[in-house]
Amino acid sequence: MGRQPRTDADRVHDRIAVLRAERRVSRRELADGVGVHPQTIGYLERGEYSPSLALALRIARFFDLPVEAVFSLDPLPAIGSELLRRNP
Amino acid sequence: MTTTQSSLVRTFEDERYAWTRTRTTRHRAVLAQAALFTVLVAGTLVAASTEEGWTTPYFVLWTAGMLLFIPLHSLLNLGIRGVFDRARPSLDEHQQRMREHSHARVGWPASALTLLAWSGGVLLAAGTGHTALALCLGALLWFVAGLLPYWHLAWTLPDEEDAEADEALPA
Repeated sequence: MGRQPRTDADRVHDRIAVLRAERRVSRRELADGVGVHPQTIGYLERGEYSPSLALALRIARFFDLPVEAVFSLDPLPAIGSELLRRNP
Repeated sequence: MTTTQSSLVRTFEDERYAWTRTRTTRHRAVLAQAALFTVLVAGTLVAASTEEGWTTPYFVLWTAGMLLFIPLHSLLNLGIRGVFDRARPSLDEHQQRMREHSHARVGWPASALTLLAWSGGVLLAAGTGHTALALCLGALLWFVAGLLPYWHLAWTLPDEEDAEADEALPA
């Protein structure tokens, strides 16, 4: 089971909100797809809850991405700046 | 999941009751329940301080209090989506975590209230001889001990967000 992060170092960062916007997926659709309550998606996006490994893997599979592309222990850079770095 | 359980879950997830899931409504429900139990405990102590003990006005107060508790607790339970009353499989990992967190946070106060329920009841019976009122006092305090996790969760939960939202938060 996941947990509420107690410190910044404890926090799991994610790109769920960005990916949802990009794919035009609502919280409810994502929640139904990964088997959680829609409010739980909101907690994940706001960084108020760190998911279990199983939930993180299900979310990554929903977006058809490797888990490290969706979740990170370090703050995730904006996708635009990552693209610029790869294609200067 | 049983039919009863699934209908209970459907009720707690019904969007017609979305108005109960705001922070303000939850806080009001907690304060109303706390006020109700304060009045009932005070009424019990006042009744126990008299010669008659169990009187008709006290019986009316007790009955009215118990009847008022039903809609108040329904309101509170709808506000927290009934996470304490639903079967575990109907909750996701975050809801289970919230339930356990609230239980853990009120562990000591709940234990102290349970102890107070027993000791207060015994002391009241021994001091006044009103056994029925002593039982009522013990039951009320024991009831409050059981309600503490509900109050903690209802008090600490933020306002809910729109589940249909597809707008993104800043990355």
